Amino acid sequence: MNREKLFDSLAELDDRYIAEALRYSPEAASGSSERIVHLNKKKIISFALAAVLILALGAAAYAVFSTYSARVPEPEETFRINWEENASGYIEWTDAKLAVTFPDTAESKEIEFRPGWLPDELSELMVKKPLSRLTAEELAYKFPELSGSQPLLIESYSMSMFNDGGALLLLYYTPEEIIEERWEEQGVDVMRFHATMHVDAAPHIHAPERTIEQDIILMSNPEAGWIVCLNGEIGMDELVKVARNLEIFETGRALTYDDFENHYAFMDGGVG
Amino acid sequence: MEDREIIGLFFERSERAIRELDKKYGKAVKAIAGNVLRDRQDAEECVNDAYLGVWSSIPPQRPDSLGSYVCRIARNQAISRLRSNTAAKRNDGFDLVLDELEECVSSGADVEAEIEGKELSRAVDRFLATLDYDDRFLFVRRYWYADSVKEIAAAMGRKENQLSVRLFRLREKLRKTLVKEGLLV
Repeated sequence: MNREKLFDSLAELDDRYIAEALRYSPEAASGSSERIVHLNKKKIISFALAAVLILALGAAAYAVFSTYSARVPEPEETFRINWEENASGYIEWTDAKLAVTFPDTAESKEIEFRPGWLPDELSELMVKKPLSRLTAEELAYKFPELSGSQPLLIESYSMSMFNDGGALLLLYYTPEEIIEERWEEQGVDVMRFHATMHVDAAPHIHAPERTIEQDIILMSNPEAGWIVCLNGEIGMDELVKVARNLEIFETGRALTYDDFENHYAFMDGGVG
Repeated sequence: MEDREIIGLFFERSERAIRELDKKYGKAVKAIAGNVLRDRQDAEECVNDAYLGVWSSIPPQRPDSLGSYVCRIARNQAISRLRSNTAAKRNDGFDLVLDELEECVSSGADVEAEIEGKELSRAVDRFLATLDYDDRFLFVRRYWYADSVKEIAAAMGRKENQLSVRLFRLREKLRKTLVKEGLLV
């Protein structure tokens, strides 16, 4: 190894450190490890802040499953995220493609997971430490062929987060046929579907028109009250294999409705 | 504007997304491109390439930290561009950053040639986790953003000499960490 290799290795530095150094904060200079913990918490809080308020309800049920129900909202139905207590501290979207709701759950067991199998091209994501979110985004820096894709994203949620009308939403992708299953080996109810999103051309920067495709799997354990969402571009068969081999661990913590500042989240991003 | 709102604009394919990205992170992106590439035109092209990279990858990607995402793309673009440039366009300031890093891998110690980049990267992550905020900021700004010591001193309100000494100690500490972890033999 030489100085270039050491410099190159810094390219993969943890996002936390790069974001933290974007600007100097004298207030943060008081402690080290405390700051790291704070950043982790902040990440979780900002994730929870990705909340929406469904202002208008009334669309017909799309399907009803043992654990969840899914419906296609009306195009004009407005979804709103509040992140600050002021007049402009919100974002609104319309034209959501799917809203998934869950039975009210008093307590959800918090979980972390670890992949037990991944396709060869994603083998770098095989980690020993259990995670609450796994993303392949960083691989795009290393493998240019992945730069325009989202090969794999796995996130965990708690059912108790979605009590009282909260929902997990699909905002941008349009779902195709929804398949409902029960995977007895893992004790989970499963909802899975293929989804597409059309992206218009952007002549001002010479970006062509394209269609992005994703497969999405929701696995939920109604007894323990957790949900795992997997989406990716590796094909449904391989995504199912990833899901079936996922090792799930309970952290010992139970989460209730009050643990979440907001009660809405997204399956397909834009506000993550 | 919040990151998630800007990412939302990218998902909606709004041209405003690039404007808002530039407004929020343009200074940092331009700085890192300029730090690595001395040539102004190269740096400007690198910034545009980085923005195009973000436009092309969101969606489907949705980075946790938009700032580090765009800076990381800009840094990679700048390094690739620098390596393909002629010797006449080499950047002495950036060479100095590499020279400093060389201290961590020299001093009579050879480095395992076959070390996986990822393993090394994780070791640096662990090293950074042991530092306090000021040291971490100093290290990342110098060796990731490739800022000059003068610029970092101005941002932190410190003296250049003081930071140069601190950097020397940090490089020594990193070298010892790499030796301890078996990455330097």
